[in-house]
Amino acid sequence: MSGAIQLGRRMATRPLISLVPMIDVMLILLVFFMVTSTYLNLDMIPALSQSDRPAPAQGTADQASASVLLIRIGADGAPHHQGKSLGQDDLTGLLAARLARDPATQVIILPTGSARIQSLVAVMDTVTTAGVTNMRVVRLEARP
Amino acid sequence: MKITRPAPRRHPETIIALIDVVFFLLVFFMLIGRMDATAPFDVLPPVSGTGADMPAGGLTMSVSAQGALALDGLELTEGAAIEQVQSALSADPDLLIRINAHRDAPLRDVLPLIARFEALGARDVVLVVTPPGPIR
Repeated sequence: MSGAIQLGRRMATRPLISLVPMIDVMLILLVFFMVTSTYLNLDMIPALSQSDRPAPAQGTADQASASVLLIRIGADGAPHHQGKSLGQDDLTGLLAARLARDPATQVIILPTGSARIQSLVAVMDTVTTAGVTNMRVVRLEARP
Repeated sequence: MKITRPAPRRHPETIIALIDVVFFLLVFFMLIGRMDATAPFDVLPPVSGTGADMPAGGLTMSVSAQGALALDGLELTEGAAIEQVQSALSADPDLLIRINAHRDAPLRDVLPLIARFEALGARDVVLVVTPPGPIR
């Protein structure tokens, strides 16, 4: 029957790309990043940098004119100067006095090998906070 | 004749909001997470209030509290680790080397490493620290 009219609801068109696989992938990525991420806030202290290799002539001239303060770190982690153990306030006071006398004071830290690295970093923090700009860490090495 | 009103169709919960939330969480964790290789042992870096921002890239040498070494997450003997650092430095002399030592590691296990790296020609060696705060 060519004259018949068919009335009917149009079929809803399905979306071409389903969102469900995308959500699955995103959830898996989310779980992956949540599980594998580390949340430590990390900073750094330069231990050796290119600026540690100055031109020999200028470096020796500057170092010869600056006064030197030697701080030892004992096995207990406490800083020592001229045989006396120093507390945090003592070290800060000593550094302030030396810097007032000579702002270019060079600080040399000589730690004992059995001291923990945290004690060295704590002394370096105190020295840096006091305003010292020339600091070296040295170690004694047994002759082979 | 009984004509019944068809039951109203319930609107399905829209999943667009869920996708948005998941996407934001994904971006958040991608941004704040670090993808460094972790050491095969516990390493709690020393606490320092004067540290600078950590540069990206480079090799990471981890040192445990007992003196064990790991290079980029792989535990190695000192000789093997130094050998790998040497080959990496020969390929890239400007390579940054990060020393991630446990805060209780004795200095006799850490300071010689820096001297070895310097002898190998390393130009930038940094010590990994963590700022003081509740998250350690």
